[in-house]
Amino acid sequence: MSLPDRIDPRPPRRIYRWDLDKTYLQTDFESLRDLFRTAFQKAHEKVAVPGASALIRELAEQGDSRLCIVSGSPKQMRAVLEEKLKLDGVQWDEFVLKDNVSNLLRGRFRALRGQVGYKLPVILESRIHAPVEAEEVLFGDDAEADAFIYSLYADLIAGRVDERVLSQVLEAGGVYPDDVARVHEAWKKIPVADPVRRIFIHLDRLTPPAHFTAYGPRVVPIFNYFQAALVLLADGHLTAPQVLKIAVEMVQTAGHNIITLSNSFQDLLRRGLPLQQAAIALSQAMEGPNALLKAMRPVPDILAAFSKRLAALGTQPPPPKVQAVDYVSLISHALPRTHKGRSTKPST
Amino acid sequence: MVGKPQHITIAFDVMGSDHGPEEVVRGAAQLSLESPHIHALLVGDRPVIDAALAGIKHNGERISVHHAADFVGMDEKPGEALARKPESSVAVAARLVAEGEAHALVSAGNTGAGVLACKRHFQLIPGVRRAALATVYPTRGVRGAKQDPFSLILDVGATVEATAEDLVAFAVMGSAYARIISRNERPKVALLSNGIEPQKGPPRVVEAHQRLSQMTGLNFTGNVEGIDIPRGTVDVIVTDGFVGNVCLKMLEGVHDTVMELAQYAYKESLRWRAGLAMLSSGIERLKDITDWEQYGGAPILGFDRIFIKAHGRSKARAIANAGKVAAKAVANELGTAIQEGLAR
Repeated sequence: MSLPDRIDPRPPRRIYRWDLDKTYLQTDFESLRDLFRTAFQKAHEKVAVPGASALIRELAEQGDSRLCIVSGSPKQMRAVLEEKLKLDGVQWDEFVLKDNVSNLLRGRFRALRGQVGYKLPVILESRIHAPVEAEEVLFGDDAEADAFIYSLYADLIAGRVDERVLSQVLEAGGVYPDDVARVHEAWKKIPVADPVRRIFIHLDRLTPPAHFTAYGPRVVPIFNYFQAALVLLADGHLTAPQVLKIAVEMVQTAGHNIITLSNSFQDLLRRGLPLQQAAIALSQAMEGPNALLKAMRPVPDILAAFSKRLAALGTQPPPPKVQAVDYVSLISHALPRTHKGRSTKPST
Repeated sequence: MVGKPQHITIAFDVMGSDHGPEEVVRGAAQLSLESPHIHALLVGDRPVIDAALAGIKHNGERISVHHAADFVGMDEKPGEALARKPESSVAVAARLVAEGEAHALVSAGNTGAGVLACKRHFQLIPGVRRAALATVYPTRGVRGAKQDPFSLILDVGATVEATAEDLVAFAVMGSAYARIISRNERPKVALLSNGIEPQKGPPRVVEAHQRLSQMTGLNFTGNVEGIDIPRGTVDVIVTDGFVGNVCLKMLEGVHDTVMELAQYAYKESLRWRAGLAMLSSGIERLKDITDWEQYGGAPILGFDRIFIKAHGRSKARAIANAGKVAAKAVANELGTAIQEGLAR
């Protein structure tokens, strides 16, 4: 290969890290029956969370991002999961699944359900190869420990968590020594930077949003991916027409309507997210003939619904305060859901 | 008249309930989890609502908030309070319903203020001169497809002096409501009087009896006496607001006295206590049957929009059920059913 032919891909400017079950896929594994059903589902039988694939596709539009998927699903499901992603038109750069057979054979029973010892080293190792300036947005759900792990990851690489706290957390999280070593090793190789912009938590179990207050405003619990798209529009990751495309897909495929979308918009406003500019950008994007939006509803109705929700609130509340996260006190959030030490009460 | 909507939005007056705004918010949150086709519009002090909502399980796609800083307290005089507080939660909620932002109103606050807010913002259905405040009362009999143990009494206070014409309209409205909410195809309707004979009672009751007897499409059974209310002899009892209110308060007084007597018996003697303990499963069953919280609330009938007045002591479950009752009335086009009944 001659030198001019060998063109390396552009280094990623943005990295999007996704969990899979309950974040991208509507998965039930509450009972043994659900677990079996999920394990034997074919790719076309699996259902994505409304708007998730549209959001991923729109985020990839710029061509300078990476999609890294880290899932707790077993490695044996790789073929069917990859097929599902392909069916949805999702292209990924990294796709890591859990090696539960190995955990079982080695008698590492805590690792079967534990998430900290699995996800934290994987995403830290992935970050080693990322350009120091690459921003990150992370997507998880409220079924497991995603808010905790992602926040810890963000604060570790930003240098806001010291070694003592990390050791305490890994010990309390029941992480095996070899995984602890992987975490420390990867962490040391990552240059200090503060790249994590947002952590979206899909409220699959409808956990009250206040449960995540202790993680600060970086963590945004969302009821649907239209909400994520609105925040990403405000953060400059998406354009208004892209957000509208996501909304239209949710309307056409998942029964969303102008009421659910405008309520979702207002829900974020009430939580203090600065979306006024995003609302203006959306309004401008709707002006003029737009065949896409006709599928949803006449444009004046959409504008009216959003404006009414905005006007109904009076003065905008102040944005939530940035605060240091106390990981040691939040460790119960990182334990498996059925663990007796897991707290179910919302944090204040 | 409001048409049959695909998605129903219920405006909740969040302020003014005995248990505070949190309980109403909890009820609306419960509704958002249980009924995908119902959306809740919470009207009240936004920071209070937001704080309550953030800490409880709810579906944010089905809830929106409209800020109203003022509210009418339970002990305030309705007319004066509404004049002083045009932006009170109940007034704003009624206005939003009138403007089409929501299809129905639910309030656990000051009843008078609720009725007055409706009078100011809603229109009376053609053929209805006065609105009626209904109440549900637990009875011995059950009725309709839902085996509903409640009968409907109206009016219990909205129209103190009703004419014969008003009583006829109340009968039609009560019948339509029982048909829709209790799924009772042919509810038995009766006039409350001092004897079952058609000529018994004041002239307005006698005249109403004559008119109702001639109406087709209404299952009018004649007059009933006070004793028939708890017996559940009929499904809808029609009277004026003065008599209805006296009856309602007396029935509530009887209930309270029975409870006090039971408490007295429990404290007074070990033998009585043992007797009560033996009856406990029966008492529990009775409590289940007569649990007013499952009903949620009672309607103000006669307006072109639905208003369900939830009890001031309503907890989340009762509020959620009041929302469901309101949505059911909207979905089944109660206003149209009343109008059609009056035209017969």
